Amino acid sequence: MKTIRISRLARVEGACGVSATIDGQIVTDVKFFVNEGPRLFERLTIGKTPEEDLNLVPRICAICTLSHRYAALRALEKALAVKVPAKVTLLRELMHLGEMIESHSLHLYLLALPDYLGYSNAIAMASKYGFEVKVGLDMKQFGNHIMKTMSGRFIHGENPCIGGFGRYPTREELVFIKNRAIQFLPFALKTVQLMCELPYPDIPESETLFVCCHPQDGRFGFVGDEMTISNGDLVDVQEYKKVTNEFFVPHSYCMRSRYKGKPYSVGALARINNLGDRLEGEAGRYYKKYFNARWKKNPLFNNAAQALEMLYSFDRIPQVIDEALKMPDPAPIAWARDTGQGTGAVEAPRGILFHAYDIFEGHITYTDIVTPTAQNAEDIERYCYIAAQTLLQKGEEEKIRDRMDLVIRAFDPCISCSVHMVQIKKAPDGDWRNRLKKLASGRRLSFIGLGREDRSDDAAGRKLARLLRNRGVKDVWLEEDLTMNSAPGDRARPVVFLDAVDFGEKPGKICLLPLRQVLWNASLSHRLAGLVRVPLASERLLDAYLLGIQPASIAEGGRMSTEVSEAVAGILQALVN
Amino acid sequence: MKKARLKIGIYELTGCAGDALLILDCEEELINIFQAADIQSFLMAKSDNIDGELDLALVEGSVSTEKDLKELLDIRKRSKVLMAVGICATLGGPQATFLDPREWEEHLKKVYGQTEMARTRPLHPKPLDAYAKVDYYLPGCPIDKEQFLSTLIRLLAGHPPEIHRFPVCMECKWKENDCLLNQGICCLGPLTAAGCRAVCPSHNLPCVGCWGPAEEANYSAEYELLLEKGFDREMVLRKMAGFSGTRIANFASRLRGEKK
Repeated sequence: MKTIRISRLARVEGACGVSATIDGQIVTDVKFFVNEGPRLFERLTIGKTPEEDLNLVPRICAICTLSHRYAALRALEKALAVKVPAKVTLLRELMHLGEMIESHSLHLYLLALPDYLGYSNAIAMASKYGFEVKVGLDMKQFGNHIMKTMSGRFIHGENPCIGGFGRYPTREELVFIKNRAIQFLPFALKTVQLMCELPYPDIPESETLFVCCHPQDGRFGFVGDEMTISNGDLVDVQEYKKVTNEFFVPHSYCMRSRYKGKPYSVGALARINNLGDRLEGEAGRYYKKYFNARWKKNPLFNNAAQALEMLYSFDRIPQVIDEALKMPDPAPIAWARDTGQGTGAVEAPRGILFHAYDIFEGHITYTDIVTPTAQNAEDIERYCYIAAQTLLQKGEEEKIRDRMDLVIRAFDPCISCSVHMVQIKKAPDGDWRNRLKKLASGRRLSFIGLGREDRSDDAAGRKLARLLRNRGVKDVWLEEDLTMNSAPGDRARPVVFLDAVDFGEKPGKICLLPLRQVLWNASLSHRLAGLVRVPLASERLLDAYLLGIQPASIAEGGRMSTEVSEAVAGILQALVN
Repeated sequence: MKKARLKIGIYELTGCAGDALLILDCEEELINIFQAADIQSFLMAKSDNIDGELDLALVEGSVSTEKDLKELLDIRKRSKVLMAVGICATLGGPQATFLDPREWEEHLKKVYGQTEMARTRPLHPKPLDAYAKVDYYLPGCPIDKEQFLSTLIRLLAGHPPEIHRFPVCMECKWKENDCLLNQGICCLGPLTAAGCRAVCPSHNLPCVGCWGPAEEANYSAEYELLLEKGFDREMVLRKMAGFSGTRIANFASRLRGEKK
């Protein structure tokens, strides 16, 4: 067994890792894990006042601090029926644009670019690419300057509060920001050229769903009360759970999300894919120049999408400031009520962020926060799996580690948000035995035999099921035993499918794979038509596995090969003893 | 003869990574820091990190998993001087406000269900000094750039840092702000360590206590003062305990016990 393990991924914000286990020609397991300990913020807010919540929740994440504050403000103000004046909305947009610039320039120039130019860090890069590093740092500093002006500090500033701001920026401060933004435009254009023309490798590529906020005004933007999904669905943010429905995987403290049973991506790439045609001015021009079909399936283009958004942000800042300067500073606004519910969504730099609160008599009784990295975790794992499997099949195993690294970093994961890296394991001979043993420890398994008994080795799954039954093993099913209403066995029990599967391996090779991973692999899943006919609730999919045997032949009418017969006997022995 | 550059490691345990980010935010000074010191490990900034002997380790975040603990003990063993950086490392941070481990465990179950953690076991969150000797403390949520740079410069020159012992009120007075307590706003300035240059009161907003308690602060007197001003007792205790983890929370729970 061989494991490629990146246990602490450098140059991302927080602590995460990825491991891939390789058994011969098959990637049997890819896990994206978050080592950050649990902090229980949602529980910490219970019983606190909305103001105390605002002091606390931005501390979830340093880099998206203002996005957390903004999402919380939108949710709390909805719950308390506080309507803020147009100037407040504009100034909040400005602070949010500052965070976008700060976060994107940090990620693009200091964290991502060293990969493509072959350096371990941006400082080392500075000797040859001094101009790029300087531009990156200057942009980031400018983003920080906006955040500091608007929020009071670089990180965790308290100035934006319910109803507005504690202190409004002066005309001089705003004019300074406007003028600096205009000066930065040529550098933002260069950034787009640089990031859009990087040689992004074509592994991994696979279609996914994209989810982002839907700005009501028909323009590009980072907030909205609805979300738009690339399949055409429009969902009200109050119903965010339809999209996020979080679940939990034991190997990470980060919750996971799926929409209609499928992993989806959020972030700059989602926004450009869903709303890019709304971009105006220079950003619109460059969008038309660079956008192509690969952006819809290759997560590495998130770097290009972030560059477009930086350009948009620099372009938008002078407009926002000109409008805001026409308006007087509003007086503080009192709450209209002290009991209510509210959900707020904003686009954090790395994707849509939800805050939902119930407030009763001025105290919080329920909090739910769904962060972008939690939503991206499934797709990060899926793209890493595709990268590892594809490279393995092409005989480029040595590239797996760096490629997974590149994929994770492209998602710009913000780990403290979701509550740090890559690990590649080589499976030992007969690894399926250990995995099966681990799976069955303390739990009973349900088995489902698939295949066709008249097609030589394809009979293996059904034959194995019958043999297990004969030996008195309970909860063994055949395909036809299952109807739409009778999910097999106890819901809390893992389901193991038994079938002949063409892994491209030696006949008789046995492999145990998590089912969801099988479904990610187009070349495996289309050979598993039987699976489609099995009624399995989506939550059980997470605890379902495929115990596959490589057939020698699945020709009609033939007998089972010696190798497969031996494999069946081996599994039987392992399961019965 | 030129002195050898100090070997420094910057590490993140459980927290928001805000202190490491703030160090990255020292844009102009960052290149100088990389020249003045030999940065052996800084995961957020570079990938060729070396885990060897260190002259100075800067550690942010609380110990919240067995992995955190193992890492902290390893860093301690390799480091001549260890400085806790940020409120999570110095006092435990917001995640350490559930004082009772059983209460914390219940909340943990409510969020993550009964699922066994396969990777690393969570621990009741605690500041670094619950498990290892801490030489210096740099407070803040997040740390302040000026205070960090002045502290680092002193450490690079071989001097101990000078962290303010006085509360936020001093800095607030230097800025000639109007006292918020006199305006009926529940401000924690008198209790909280200075270092932020009274940023919140300077924005007409009350201090939330994110630097943790000032060494000189008189908790009981502040508590009585806030009650006298007519603020709700529970609210005062809750606010006081918000960021300071065990230190003020212990004090608050003692007060709660006495007054009930």
